[in-house]
Amino acid sequence: MVEIGHFALVLAFALSLVQAALPFIGARTRQDRLMAVGGPVAITAFAMTALSFLALVAAYVQSDFSVLNVWENSHSAKPLLYKITGTWGNHEGSMLLWVLILTFFGALVAAFGRNLPPVLKADVIAVQGLIGAAFFLFVLSTSNPFVRLVLAPIEGSDLNPVLQDVGLAIHPPLLYLGYVGFSVCFSFAVAALIEGRIDAAWARWVRPWTLAAWIFLTGGIAMGSYWAYYELGWGGFWFWDPVENASFMPWLAGTALLHSAIVMERREALKIWTILLALLAFSLSLLGTFLVRSGVLTSVHAFATDPTRGVFILALLAFFVGGSLSLFAFRAQSLQPGGLFQPISREGALVLNNLFLTTATATVFVGTLYPLALEAVTGEKISVGAPFFNLTFGALMVPLMIAMPFGPLLAWKRGDLAAAGQRLFAAAGGALLAGLVALLFVDGVTAFAAVGFGLAAWLLIGAVTDLVLRAGIGSVAPSVALRRFAGLPRSVFGTALAHFGLGLTALGIVSVTALQAERIVAMKPGDTVDISGYVLTFDRMEPVRGPNYTEDRAYFALATEAGRDLGEVISSKRVYTARQMPTTEAGIATRGFSQVYVSLGDPAANGGTVVRVWHKPLVTLIWLGALVMMAGGTMSLADRRLRIGAPARRKVKAAAGVPAE
Amino acid sequence: MTRKQKRLAVIAGALVFLGGATTLTFYALGQRTSYFYMPSDLSAKPVEPGQRIRLGGLVEKGSIQRGQGTEVAFAVTDQEKTIKVVYNGLLPDLFREEQGVITEGAFDPAGNFVADSVLAKHDETYMPKEVADSLKEKGVWQEKDGG
Amino acid sequence: MVPMLFWIAAAALTLAASLAVLVPLTRKAAGTEPAGRHDIEVYRDQLQEVERDAARGVIEASQAEQAKVEIARRLLKADSDGQAARKAGSGGVVRLAGLAGVLLVPLVSWGLYSAIGAPGVPGEPLAQRMARNPAESSIDELIARAEKHLADNPDDARGWEILGPVYMRQQRFADAATAWRNAIRIAGSSAQRESALGEAIAAAAGGVVTADARAAFERALAKDPNEPKSRFLLASGLAQEGKLAEAADAWQQMKLALAADSPWHEPVDRAIAEAKARLEAPVAKGPNVDDVTAAQEMTPQDRQQMIESMVAGLDEKLRANPDDVEGWQRLIRSYVVLGRADDAKAALARALAGLEGDKKDQVSAFAAELGVKVDG
Repeated sequence: MVEIGHFALVLAFALSLVQAALPFIGARTRQDRLMAVGGPVAITAFAMTALSFLALVAAYVQSDFSVLNVWENSHSAKPLLYKITGTWGNHEGSMLLWVLILTFFGALVAAFGRNLPPVLKADVIAVQGLIGAAFFLFVLSTSNPFVRLVLAPIEGSDLNPVLQDVGLAIHPPLLYLGYVGFSVCFSFAVAALIEGRIDAAWARWVRPWTLAAWIFLTGGIAMGSYWAYYELGWGGFWFWDPVENASFMPWLAGTALLHSAIVMERREALKIWTILLALLAFSLSLLGTFLVRSGVLTSVHAFATDPTRGVFILALLAFFVGGSLSLFAFRAQSLQPGGLFQPISREGALVLNNLFLTTATATVFVGTLYPLALEAVTGEKISVGAPFFNLTFGALMVPLMIAMPFGPLLAWKRGDLAAAGQRLFAAAGGALLAGLVALLFVDGVTAFAAVGFGLAAWLLIGAVTDLVLRAGIGSVAPSVALRRFAGLPRSVFGTALAHFGLGLTALGIVSVTALQAERIVAMKPGDTVDISGYVLTFDRMEPVRGPNYTEDRAYFALATEAGRDLGEVISSKRVYTARQMPTTEAGIATRGFSQVYVSLGDPAANGGTVVRVWHKPLVTLIWLGALVMMAGGTMSLADRRLRIGAPARRKVKAAAGVPAE
Repeated sequence: MTRKQKRLAVIAGALVFLGGATTLTFYALGQRTSYFYMPSDLSAKPVEPGQRIRLGGLVEKGSIQRGQGTEVAFAVTDQEKTIKVVYNGLLPDLFREEQGVITEGAFDPAGNFVADSVLAKHDETYMPKEVADSLKEKGVWQEKDGG
Repeated sequence: MVPMLFWIAAAALTLAASLAVLVPLTRKAAGTEPAGRHDIEVYRDQLQEVERDAARGVIEASQAEQAKVEIARRLLKADSDGQAARKAGSGGVVRLAGLAGVLLVPLVSWGLYSAIGAPGVPGEPLAQRMARNPAESSIDELIARAEKHLADNPDDARGWEILGPVYMRQQRFADAATAWRNAIRIAGSSAQRESALGEAIAAAAGGVVTADARAAFERALAKDPNEPKSRFLLASGLAQEGKLAEAADAWQQMKLALAADSPWHEPVDRAIAEAKARLEAPVAKGPNVDDVTAAQEMTPQDRQQMIESMVAGLDEKLRANPDDVEGWQRLIRSYVVLGRADDAKAALARALAGLEGDKKDQVSAFAAELGVKVDG
């Protein structure tokens, strides 16, 4: 079974070579039969990679220690779930997942790309095949998960305990679906550059793929953030860690791409820019893969440190980024300019959005790579952390958020800022009110935080305003308004939801940053600690034996100040026996959107235990906001427009042609 | 304004914006980054009290003193010089004697290093990169016994 | 059986992959519509959308008109592109490229796999290995099975007693010590168990009779004053401390108590001879390599000799390359352990001569901890 998986992986590599070559030749010579090879080959390559992946998962489930990778990263006493997730909790396995998702997207284009012109489709599939072939070569030559041990050891050496968590089950696959999803945009851009045909229709065809990748990446980043929040025991939700930045940069570029593609689709303007963004989004994904996989960074995620791999990925990065940008430079002049527009217009607002988002991407890029570059050149070691990013990134986000509700309200081509401003009166009033209420009635709110609350309210009400105005609620009869509301294109709901979600996330971040309370105390059983209107009583400490760890579990009783019992919070210190590695399992009690977070420390001098307790008001909104953004993206993806494009007589079939969520 | 002038204005605006963003970025890089030091670097080029730095090294054996409640004091050493660090908070899971740590904070006027964050190595084979490199240069730490 | 199945599966997969390339090539060309058709559909839809929006009153009529003109212009352009875009290629390209593609799949996959694959290595799922007939299992598997049994029944003293010697053979000395401790905990102390425990502890410490090991031997001798292994190793302990005369004495006493046919006569004789030789000529001779290789069983004495041979090798290496702090530390410690105090001193002196700066301090600090100082 293991060797069949290995063989299937080799076969997938061979198929990728064919996938890269035949459709491309077919597209150049306009041979339909050669172009038609792309689809079935892409689907078969995916099937082979899936088989290979399943074989590896099976080896993990069965604790087959004749596979080096399983022996290094698994243990027979591990719970089944973590045996499965352990498959991609290491370098080789995660790269196999990477190529699996790459071929998955290739197969999706093949299966659901019926609305694409055959030449474009063939080129897209060929470029996907080329990326696939390069990465299969990487996996097979430097990171092969199927290396065998002839004398199989009897016990494995266990997975890093920090990675033994449900978060690992969801976070990397989602993140990779996003990262790698942008490869389709990249392939579309390269395909368009090869043919030199870049028009409004292209923007519409590429849009569902951008959306899908963006939705997954949003989910992956949010999931990673929540995972770090509860698993690392520091209670932080975003650390500006280079690995986080590596996933955040493609997200920013992808978000910019989503917006500029709208302009290209409607007005055929910003063509060069949109193509460039499509290339950049995936290039940044590759950069992220390089940063994480080469081991140039050291952090929780850096489980690979092998220079040959780093150099290989760097070569791939140089080939794809350099190649695509050269092609871009070669073709960019020949593109015809598109529609014109005034600075104050929907297009203008979207350009502003792009300006801020790409500049923000650039600051994150500088902050992430500057320390590496400096160390390489001068040997000096510096750390660029939260203060840098908060200053630069924050400074860029504030004006972006102020401008955001205006965008959807401006007309195409020539907009009326004053009129849009009038319509946003309610939002402005609400924002002002929210800021004032926070400033005057909530303890500990600074003027700065009050501005933050106002800004969050501005986004939330602004998003609702857009829907209200479009449906004409208040200006036409309720029944008419209701009908109009229901008849709005789904993409309008998508925009509003996504903007609303961003508002929620902003509200959560502002609230936690400004109002979070923290107590660090040494407690003995029976001691209590007050925090933000809650009383936490340390009940008892018990040793507990888990399947592959032992832990000291501390039980706390949570109650309101008035004495109403709110249940138990359990926090523990764990030691994983195979690696003798300690971890802290935080205890979290969710109250509404807020959370009480309890983390255990070391024994204190007086015989008690150091306990760190936080009250984190509205903290869950940070991730709920991301979920709402994903819902908005999904709504847009379901818009009927995105299915259009197949010639009329194929329309019935094409109606099913949306990529699966 | 003619169309050309308008376009020039837009381009000028974009350039001013980009210039501003670049200035901000480099200003922030200069102000908001902290340099990494080992204890013996500090005797070579001292740091003003109050300036934020990152101090890395090994936790000296027998130097950990837990105060009342959550206060803790320990010494960070690179086997040449030793710096006393005070910290109020939860130590990371992997904080142990003779293991690598990175602390971030500033010196108080009395010459104690007041840390507001303490990071320890993340797993059995991982040493904070800066610490490992510097210790290797000094020949104190070897791959096997340091891990 | 397993490889056969594998080859069949591999062949089937290759066939499927090749067919995925071949079938579309042989199929009759699907009806081809002009290249512009897909674009036209998009623009037509955009037109309809503008009309819908205008009808709903979402956009003003003048804006709608402008947008429609723009889209119509794109429609016309797409239409004319579609007319011009057809280029004919020759069927020869299809055949050539197709043939190359179909051949590429089996050639690359079988070629590459034969270079990197391991078709003969069977999978070894843990459950299957555990269920296998003990006669076919490897030592590791048997141990794992015994460990699993003891994890479930930790009070099976018999199991621990079986596992103890097995661990010793596997060189897992610390585990052996744990096994014997468990056996003693459950079945009680006995001379044989205590002496095995002491031996395991000493082996785990690299052959050094530590305080723990000595305590175990003493407990064994309390149960049975003539237990030979304990007596022998206790004497070795004395020798390690440099008390050679007392060690030789202890061995002499032990020999008197041994039965005539005891296997211990030979090692005891050898130990006595060596102790005496060292008493007479304090400069120790080099390790007797033949003895070491000839020894089939790992008696403590053999082990000590083996240590000596390693130490000699290290010594030699450090003469050639003295810039190795860790090496010197190891050498000095080894000499101390072997009871060769003078050699330890000499090594320290050589280290200090060969090293510079801090390294010097490091080594001398380390040596001071062990009580080794250079005279003067």
